[in-house]
Formats: sequence, structure tokens, C-alpha cells
Amino acid sequence: MARRLTKLLVANRGEIALRIIRSARLFGLKTVAVYSAADAKGAHVGAADEAILIGPAEAAKSYLDIPAIIAAARQSGADAIHPGYGFLSERPEFAQAAADAQIVFVGPRPDVMAALGDKVAARRIAVAAGVPVVPGIEAAEISAAREFAALVGYPILVKAAAGGGGRGMRAVAEAAQLEGALEAAAREAMAAFGDGRIFIEKYLAHPRHIEIQILGDQHGAVVALGERDCSIQRRHQKIIEESPAPGLSEKTRARISDAALKLARAAHYTNAGTVEFLVEDDNFYFLEVNARLQVEHPVTEMRFGCDLVCEQLRIASGAGVSEPPPPRGAAIECRINAEDPEQDFRPATGTALHLNVPGGPGVRFDSHLARGAEVTPWYDGLLGKLICYGANREEARRRLVNALGEFALLGVTNNAAYLRDIVASEQFRDAKLSTRFIDEFFSGWKIAESEIDAAIVAAAIIAGEEAAPRPAGERRSPWDGLDNFELWGSRR
Amino acid sequence: MKLTRAGTLREIDAEVISRDGSAIRVRIGDRELVAEFTPTADGRGVLAINGRRYPVFGVRRKESILISLGPGSFEFKRAEAASRRRTRGLASAEITAPMPGKVLKLLVRGGDLVEAGQPLVVIEAMKMETTLAAESAALVKLVRVEEGQTVDHGAVLIELSPPPASSVRESAPRGE
Repeated sequence: MARRLTKLLVANRGEIALRIIRSARLFGLKTVAVYSAADAKGAHVGAADEAILIGPAEAAKSYLDIPAIIAAARQSGADAIHPGYGFLSERPEFAQAAADAQIVFVGPRPDVMAALGDKVAARRIAVAAGVPVVPGIEAAEISAAREFAALVGYPILVKAAAGGGGRGMRAVAEAAQLEGALEAAAREAMAAFGDGRIFIEKYLAHPRHIEIQILGDQHGAVVALGERDCSIQRRHQKIIEESPAPGLSEKTRARISDAALKLARAAHYTNAGTVEFLVEDDNFYFLEVNARLQVEHPVTEMRFGCDLVCEQLRIASGAGVSEPPPPRGAAIECRINAEDPEQDFRPATGTALHLNVPGGPGVRFDSHLARGAEVTPWYDGLLGKLICYGANREEARRRLVNALGEFALLGVTNNAAYLRDIVASEQFRDAKLSTRFIDEFFSGWKIAESEIDAAIVAAAIIAGEEAAPRPAGERRSPWDGLDNFELWGSRR
Repeated sequence: MKLTRAGTLREIDAEVISRDGSAIRVRIGDRELVAEFTPTADGRGVLAINGRRYPVFGVRRKESILISLGPGSFEFKRAEAASRRRTRGLASAEITAPMPGKVLKLLVRGGDLVEAGQPLVVIEAMKMETTLAAESAALVKLVRVEEGQTVDHGAVLIELSPPPASSVRESAPRGE
């Protein structure tokens, strides 16, 4: 089964494409980027050894176009494909198409992916392996959904059977909203995954989202690399993740980890994956398997001192996995998104006119952002992940507060100040974690009035410069225009 | 100078009263603030105000001013630009696409009376559904798009006019 890889095609974009290219290079591989017309100036295009245009901006005709990506792999002579997360990463057809073209797919086998990618089938595997699940059913008919909801009681959760990452997911508080929610979820599921099947389940009151990182090799060995607590979510999408899960008893931690391993072994899982659970008190319920690298994988890397992409490449080359060394310290990640937290997280676009990246010991910023980078409406709005490590949670947390304070991005509305306020809050410091955290403590968040005042003062200074008469022949004020990057510092 | 912070309705009246080296006095409404502003060598500035220091960066555009203040990002619309889109008695006379996307669902039609906060249209952009709602009670004058249509950033989706005075407190009758 051992196969020496030489060239890796990265079938993704943004921060994760860049991150994979870095590790592939370390692993000794040549790298191939693929890109859409909207990403011609993307960071991953510049970082790879070669780059191939695969289609127009629409993801369906580029990053989701299996034949175009396989053709790019053939054209470049790539002998392996890494799918990243999102896009085609959990499409069994893609893994199969790679295998048919004699290309190593860095991920689980297509049949394993198909079984686990379907929430209904994955639950069946979990139940058979003796892993507890949240009560739920596939809601093919509205009548069946009504019956189930009446049985377990509202609220219930509606989600895409095929999906992940919160797409198509919504909570339904009462019977009157059920039909509309099913329709909307099916629409979103169809748009995001090309599969409109819907799953509904009992909505837990105060669960935490805790997940186990696993690695499985092609010889049947599976190991667990600790847990991540990803309870802090907005619109069902994670925004802050950490490891270890604060306050989790050793006993529960071990039971969850064992359950993840049992499930992974039952599914014959290979490569990197994540088994997600909802945890309430000492009870835990299997949620789903993400058969790919997770967005929040750096949290695990910081604690275990490992490189999960290199581990993936090793496994794909046929190497075995072994028990990891004990983890150290604590790590917290936050996702900086192009969105407006004061406007119901409305997505934002724009050009990065100025960027200040935090630094210092224990600070990591995984991002494709650079000055001049464009954020387009075509893809999801993740701008970067800021990850801080500490000897303990409090040190990691304080580092993250400081790092977010150093972060600055002008030109693309983003959630950095919101994240800073969350990480700096008493509630986060005291780890009052549940998936309701945002609803309970940060709904309707606004930036502090004192900061609005300071921003108005800055705006008034700029406007004042504009009004001041300029001697004939002097160049334009440095604040004019979109493309002028030399701003405050260039004043006369 | 009159500004409106993007996403809010409150008009801010602010101006620099005096500037002496780095010392600056600014009036915001009827409040006066004292600040110190120092351009730094790396293309930024440091603004000291109310005992705190903020790294600041700014860009002036025709219709707006963008400011980053530490991790905070701010967009201020210039009042002249904002007022063109506003009609008496209405928070906004037009519902526009906040970004390029697709119209998924129209929830109103011409002639409907809507209340503040009532959802009007659902658009999909960046793989997310966003519901645009009326900011104040209004009469739907014209729906300019169809379901399934792709729209550009800023495209006018729905035109609103002030509700007839008598109808504001009544329940909104539907099209038929």
C-alpha cells in the first residue's frame, strides 16, 4: 500500500489551500493550486509551484467541478489530491474520480465517506457501535416530521442530511414554523450540497459541542488526538474553538474519546476525521463525522505539537499511525469572518486596504489575507483564524485578547472587535460554554460607544484634511481614493 | 460635517474645532472631545482619547469614510449620500441588495402595507440566506425583482413609500 507521493494538487482556496501547500512543501511535495477566475490573484495561486485555472467564479463551475479538477491533476502530473474542507472534501464521487484516475485522495475511502457523510447512515453506524445518539428521524414527509416533533416536543432542530457546517440548519420553536423551516432548509441544502434531504432531531437545551480528532491508517489502526470544544457558534457556525474542553471530567473525556474510536473503527475510517458530539452534563450524543480536515484543526496541532496535514500525507502514503504523546497546555482559536456582527452577521465584501497581523510567542494566524486582497461574494467569508497557545487556558485566553487587540483590517467589515469582546468577557473567562452562549450573552452586541466616539474623531480628522485648502501643485490628500495605501504616514 | 454610521440611522454631526500639532479638539453633536493624534512611521496613526490609545487607519471615499480603530472596523456614510436614499417618515425608501446574490423568495408584493421589522425578501449570498426586513412601517410601492433573479450589490429590490397615515396602526391587509 505504500506509495511515494511527488506532487499534490490542492482542490481548495483561501487560508486552507495556503496552509496545505505549506505542509506539502515541508513533506517534500511539489504543489499545484487550482483557482477560479475570481481568485486569479489569490494567495494560494502565488504560493503553489504551479497554478491552473479551472473555471469561472461560480463554485459549481470551478471548485465544485470534479472533471475540471481531475483534468488539472492529470495536466500537471499530480499524483495526489488534498480536498481541504468544504467544497468537494466530503463528496465520495470526488474521491472515487481521483481513485479512477490513479490519483491518491488524501482522505477516507469513497465508500466510508458515503456512509459517514449521510447523517442518517452515520447514525445507524453509531447506534450499531453502541454510541449514543440524539433522538431524530429523516423528515421526508411533513406529516412524519409533525409526528416526530409532537413525540419529542418542540423545539426541534432541522438540518441537511448531506451537509455540515451549519448550512441549512435551523431551530424550530413551534409547530406553525415547521413547514416553512423544512422548505427553507431543503432549499439551502439543495443549493449547498445538491441534496435536499432533511433530518430533524430533538433540540437539547444547553449542550456543548465537543469533538474528537481522529487519525486512522490504511492498516486498521485508529488513534484519537484529544477533544475540541466548539460551543461558541453563531447561526450554527463555530466561531471560537478550544482544547482542552474546560471543566470536562477526565472520566467523561475518556468515554467520549472511546466512543469516537469505536465509531471510527466500526466505519473502517482512514486519514484525518472528526467525530462530533453534543454534551450535556455527563451525557453525550453522537452528532456527525466530518470526514476531512476541520477548519479548527490548528487547536489540536498547538497542543500536540504536530502537523495534521503532514500526518494526512503520511497516512495517504501508506504509513501507520501510533499513539500521540500526551498533549500540553491549552489553545484557543477564533475565526475572523467578513461579516457585520452588528447587522445580524450579514456577509461583507471589499478590498483589504490595511492589515495588521498580531504576533509574539504562542500566536498563530492562518490566513490568505494581504494588503490589496479582495473579498468577493462568491465564497464563504472566512478571512483567517487566529490561534493562541498558553500553558493553561487563562494564558491562552489573555494572549488571544491581546492578539485580537493588535489585529486591524480596513476595507472589509469583520467580526474581530466582536471576537475580542467575547474572549475578554467574564462569561468566556469563566467558561460558561454552551451552544447558546451567543444567544445568552452576546445577542444584539454593539461595539462600545467610546470606540464609536474615537472612530468619529478619526473620521472628522480625515474630513477636516479634505476641507483644508491645498497649495497649487501639491499632490492629492493621501486619504483620497480606494487604491491609496500610503495614508497617515505619508502626511507632509 | 454630517455622517451616518453604516447600518444605523442616527445622524452624527462632527467637526474638528481646532488642531495644534497633535492636539485636536473635536465636536460631536453638543459634546466636545479632546484627543491627540500622531501619525506613525508605518503608515498608521495613533489616536489617544479618554485615556486610551488606539491604532487607527482611515480611507476617504466619495460617499463614505472607512476607519479601523484597533480591531474595530467602521464605515461612515456622508450625509449627502445617505439622504438621497431616504424619504420623509421612512427609515429607507429602498430595499437594496447588501451584496451580489440571488433573490430566493419575495415575501411582499406591490400595494402591501408592511410593519417595521416585517421580512420583505430573502436573498442568498456567500452561501447564506439573508432576510431583508422593513426598517419602518411602509407601503410597498414597487417590487423591482423576481424570484431566482441574480442581483448586484446595491441593486434596488423593493421601493417603499410612507404608509397612509390612517393605516399605520391597523393590521396590514394583504394583496387580495
